[in-house]
Amino acid sequence: MTGKEIKARYKFAVLGFLWIVLNPLLQMLVMGFVFQFFVPVKVDNYFLFLFTGLLPWNFFSMTVLKCTPAIIFERSLIQKAKFPRESIVLSIILSNLFHFLIAFSLLLLALVFNKMFFERYTFFHLLMYLGNMLWTLPLIIWLCVLTAGTVLLTSALNVKYRDVNFVVSAIMPLWFYVTPVVYQLNLLPEKVRWLFMLNPMTSLIEGFQVILLNQTFSSPLFIFCNLLTAFFIFMIGWWYFQKEAKFFDDWM
Amino acid sequence: MKKNSREIAIKLTNVTKRYTIHHEKPTFSEKLLKRSQKQIFTALNDIDLTIYKGEKVGIIGSNGAGKTTLLKLITGVTAPNVGTVVTQGKIVSLLDLGAGFHPDLTGVENIYLNGLIVGMSQKEIKEKFDNIVQFADIGTFIDAPMYTYSLGMKLRVGFSIGVFADPDILVLDEGISAGDQNFVEKSTQKIEEFFKLKKTIIVVSHWLDYLEARCNRIVWIKKGEIEESGSISVIKKYKKFQMIS
Repeated sequence: MTGKEIKARYKFAVLGFLWIVLNPLLQMLVMGFVFQFFVPVKVDNYFLFLFTGLLPWNFFSMTVLKCTPAIIFERSLIQKAKFPRESIVLSIILSNLFHFLIAFSLLLLALVFNKMFFERYTFFHLLMYLGNMLWTLPLIIWLCVLTAGTVLLTSALNVKYRDVNFVVSAIMPLWFYVTPVVYQLNLLPEKVRWLFMLNPMTSLIEGFQVILLNQTFSSPLFIFCNLLTAFFIFMIGWWYFQKEAKFFDDWM
Repeated sequence: MKKNSREIAIKLTNVTKRYTIHHEKPTFSEKLLKRSQKQIFTALNDIDLTIYKGEKVGIIGSNGAGKTTLLKLITGVTAPNVGTVVTQGKIVSLLDLGAGFHPDLTGVENIYLNGLIVGMSQKEIKEKFDNIVQFADIGTFIDAPMYTYSLGMKLRVGFSIGVFADPDILVLDEGISAGDQNFVEKSTQKIEEFFKLKKTIIVVSHWLDYLEARCNRIVWIKKGEIEESGSISVIKKYKKFQMIS
């Protein structure tokens, strides 16, 4: 199923796999160019900062946007036979994860290159940095859990209520701006900062920036809250999907 | 007593299936705005049915009686609201043969995808792959994307996958309308083979002579309930009923 997704997506693209990297790269260039003038972010390299946040965000938003109507799109498969319905969304998550990992490893290369030649890290420091990179593994798992939960919930809901897809498409761009991808949280006034606790993506994006760009978390409370929310979303999504999956065919 | 000693292939107990009738696309906003405007349609009402291994069952009944719903429940495409459906072995349905293909993928890739969905393992598909392609017999089109296929070609591929999935229980329609004369003959022959084997077969049909010749059990469904279930003589009663109404 995952192979199907990957193949179908690039079947007609002449550039093929180059698109995986090119797409976020172009996005980064445009945004980086624009936001550099508006947002007074104090980081060494704004483009690298942007790219670090954009990659996990893109994985999340693209997966959610693609998965939400997926069950309806595959109605001919649903009507044909009994098979685990979650494989439809799971295949999309996995194929997007695959793309994410490719782009992500290129980002890591660029970061190491930057540290070696521009920031002149010593060998020891570089090793430390590489060791720290391992911390992104649990972050990626966390990202996948949150994405899977969200997607299970929205895709199952969309079968019964077809306008969920519109709601999701409307929310995603807004969600992007309340997530610290193009800016840092410490730029915001103290009063509104706690609101970001409600956004389960906050600590995830910050996490990537902390590990890869030597920044600090805004508050450990955020991590705890966001982790809990992600877990809850996954449980709810899983439960609802299991409950409804048997009856998907009735709504087709 | 003799019946009880046989192995059960499909067992439906107290099965009720209801559908909510929608007039438009269901939406969330609508649910919030207008409440309790649900129309419920009971497709199957409290059905008990046991099918034993090796039985050739013909299902008859007028349109809208619940035949399709019954098959959907048996194949597991949907679940009952009340009651249980228990099945033994792999079920393959030859009803919507042309459906379930991804238009951008080639025939080969679609065979793998569909094989997985029908319940074959990757290894199994690999082993039977040559047979499937040979039986479908669509030449070099097998490497072309599916959207270039004619309907007949899609049916050919669909039929071949279903047949080579080696089902324990086969669900089918009377005449498989699979394209040209040549393939119709080939597929009919294949189905006749299945009838001779010890497989469980469920046929839905309005062609009563066909059922009379091949089935050893007939289930007559009328308005969501089993009117009668038994030997071929049920067909005679059904014919009589049709004459009256």
